[in-house]
Amino acid sequence: MRSPFAYNPRSAPLQNASTGAAVAYLGSFAIVAFLYSSPLVLAAVAAGALLAGITAGAGRAAFAGLRMGLGLALLIVVVNALVVDRGETVLLRLGEAPLLGRVDVTAEAIAAGAVIGMRAAAVMVAFAVYSACVDPDRVLRALRPYAGRSALTAALISRLVPVAAADAARLREAGRLRGPAAEPLGRGALARRLLTGSLDRAVDVAATLELRGYGLGVRYEGDSRRTSRHDMRFILAGGALAAAAIAGRLLGADVFHAYPSLEIVAEPGTLVISATAVAAGLAPWRKGARGA
Amino acid sequence: MPDLLAKRRTAPSLSVTCLGYRYPNAERPALEDVSLELAAGTFALLAGRSGSGKSTLLRAACGLVPHFHGGEVCGGVEVAGLDALAAGPGELARVCGFVAQDPETQVVSTTVAAEIGLPLELHGDAPASRARAVEEAALALAIPHLLDRTVDSLSGGELQRVALAAALVTRPQLILLDEPTSQLDPVAGDELIWLLRRLNEEWGVGVLLAEHRLERCLAAADRVVAMDSGRIGFDGDPRGFLEWAQEADPALETPAARLFTLAGLEPLPTGVRDARAILGRVSQGWGDLRSPKLVDAGAPPPRRDPPAATVRNLWVELERDEAIHDVLRGIDLRVARGERIALMGRNGAGKSTLLRTLAGILEPVRGRVEMRGGMALLTQNPGDYLVRERVAEELPGEEGIAALRLVGLEHAVDRDPRDLSGGERQRLALAITMAGRLEGERLPGLVAFDEPTRGMDRARKDVLVELIEELAALGAGLVVATHDVEFAAAFAERVVLLGDGVVIADGDAAEILSGGWYFATEVARVLGLPGTITAEDGAAALLEGRGPRG
Repeated sequence: MRSPFAYNPRSAPLQNASTGAAVAYLGSFAIVAFLYSSPLVLAAVAAGALLAGITAGAGRAAFAGLRMGLGLALLIVVVNALVVDRGETVLLRLGEAPLLGRVDVTAEAIAAGAVIGMRAAAVMVAFAVYSACVDPDRVLRALRPYAGRSALTAALISRLVPVAAADAARLREAGRLRGPAAEPLGRGALARRLLTGSLDRAVDVAATLELRGYGLGVRYEGDSRRTSRHDMRFILAGGALAAAAIAGRLLGADVFHAYPSLEIVAEPGTLVISATAVAAGLAPWRKGARGA
Repeated sequence: MPDLLAKRRTAPSLSVTCLGYRYPNAERPALEDVSLELAAGTFALLAGRSGSGKSTLLRAACGLVPHFHGGEVCGGVEVAGLDALAAGPGELARVCGFVAQDPETQVVSTTVAAEIGLPLELHGDAPASRARAVEEAALALAIPHLLDRTVDSLSGGELQRVALAAALVTRPQLILLDEPTSQLDPVAGDELIWLLRRLNEEWGVGVLLAEHRLERCLAAADRVVAMDSGRIGFDGDPRGFLEWAQEADPALETPAARLFTLAGLEPLPTGVRDARAILGRVSQGWGDLRSPKLVDAGAPPPRRDPPAATVRNLWVELERDEAIHDVLRGIDLRVARGERIALMGRNGAGKSTLLRTLAGILEPVRGRVEMRGGMALLTQNPGDYLVRERVAEELPGEEGIAALRLVGLEHAVDRDPRDLSGGERQRLALAITMAGRLEGERLPGLVAFDEPTRGMDRARKDVLVELIEELAALGAGLVVATHDVEFAAAFAERVVLLGDGVVIADGDAAEILSGGWYFATEVARVLGLPGTITAEDGAAALLEGRGPRG
């Protein structure tokens, strides 16, 4: 079965946009996620990226990214609650534990973990939409002026996700075929194997790129500079979101402190950034288009 | 510059002088004192067992060794006048193309057209000339219908042809191929070899082809270079190679040569046509050879009860490029316990889909699968089963050891699976699928392999045949999807031939593998005797004076 993160060529505004415009647009969601700690803004960024995926016809990828992101967020919350004992509101005293020492679960540590997790989830949704909507061939061409001597760098940037996605599907399938006395596949083993395997395969892909002449440095008439009539809307949407986020930070928006006690203020600046993030998610929308 | 171009045109395709090479951290060198010169336009075959240095020599010729892999190198390599050790793969890409063993690692673009056009784009060709060259390369390889497809929707065989088209599209002076037919069905494999021969003759492209299935390509070659433990063991014409192999390494003999050796006939034949001509000369009384005929689907052999698996009217749909296709169409099949079946057919005929449906990975849209005792399936990439860093971590406990014992790997419990040889990794993957299912009721009714002989030499295939026979003796039904006709002849008692999602022939292996042309062994094609598919049977027939029928 085809991976939800695999690039799906289709005639839609985001897929037709130039590589730079698409990266600027989707990257603006990641910029906001890294700049802000307000749960409201982070939720809005995740919603905006999800909306972008749905309107671009990559809803399957966006939701798959969200599911993975939420799983990671939950893990971060649990780990943060167990290893961080800062915070005034103790919810649970678990006593002494090996390596961890005294374990007090505080509401503040849970909230701080949740914020980190939400940030990771929002970025993963944006990255999932990127992976499904931005043509890796065009990314490869766009990278050539900057990574012309390093096929490996280019292969890692443009191919690691598609290769890892294809490997993950095969590994899961093989995992279902293991005998009852074999050690089950397990998420940890799968993740380690995926990482090492994908790096190995990216090296193979890099070798192929070298053989095709990637390192020759010859100028060619390609379509890496191809623009689309949709570029402007993505540059404007991404630019507006990033500019609003930076301005908001400079003007003191994003009032969130986890320690020593929780402090969350939804002042007008935070609300404006949140609304902008959600609205930016509508940029790929095309009249009459169906989501996938 | 004109001098350089003239030198390239007249220079040998490949000139290797006292080449030695050791991979980083390797205990022993992969190549030692290799010297070789291929004149422009030579079609040369690179033979040798697994690990003998064939792939490394090809990688040295295209510049990946040492530029990409690192390691220690000495001696010299020139490709069409270019110093390969100094130039590197990018510059060498102008004069030589390389097709590696695994097609999945050779595609870097999203669509087939982009993949084939990429080398031209990187070489600076204009869009108009790129479009024409892509079209011509696609036509030459009979894949124009694939141009708009995404590469992740292609079968292994289709991918291999796309990779070859991408290597040929720049019209290089030398093309290097590392087992390019390992994923191709017999029809596509033969077509590829003769396509290479045609490109060699018409375009003057030099060819250096590493292969294990020598019977496919020996007749097309001008010259054979045999590697042995990193050194050149033999360098000469095809007939001389067969004479050398007869003494030095009989595992490299082709089936027809082995037939002649066993029957005491000389000279050894380089191919089917040669064998028939020699037979015609040495046995005048045997008359002319009969033209081969296609075998229709006949009555299947008698069934043993109880069946391991029964399939009734199985239909399976798969999505490809956003469209739904019927990949299996009304398959009926019954597999008895202990039965050994070769599942054959062209690339895309539905073999892997059938196995994955039987294993429960795919859901049929219609029809029924009844399985007694479940199924163990080893898919095409054994590495997908190996996810931990110690063999014992994959297979813990007594049952794990028992599974390792079954495949002869109980000595490897502390080894890293990545350090095992290709054959050992495959056996470990099989042990993982069989773990906890080795006794009584838990024994799988069906054990299936999907293309298990990719990259295997004959010695390793013989080990696999023994393993298959052992599993069948335990009581499991064996179904092996394979393109390797000679391997099928070695293990199968029954052959099921699929064509476009339907069973087109199902019967005794000797009958099916001697009745057709493409899905027939070399011995069957030489002798044309119904039921005679192995060198041993053929030699017995010849010695009994039956000979080819007129």
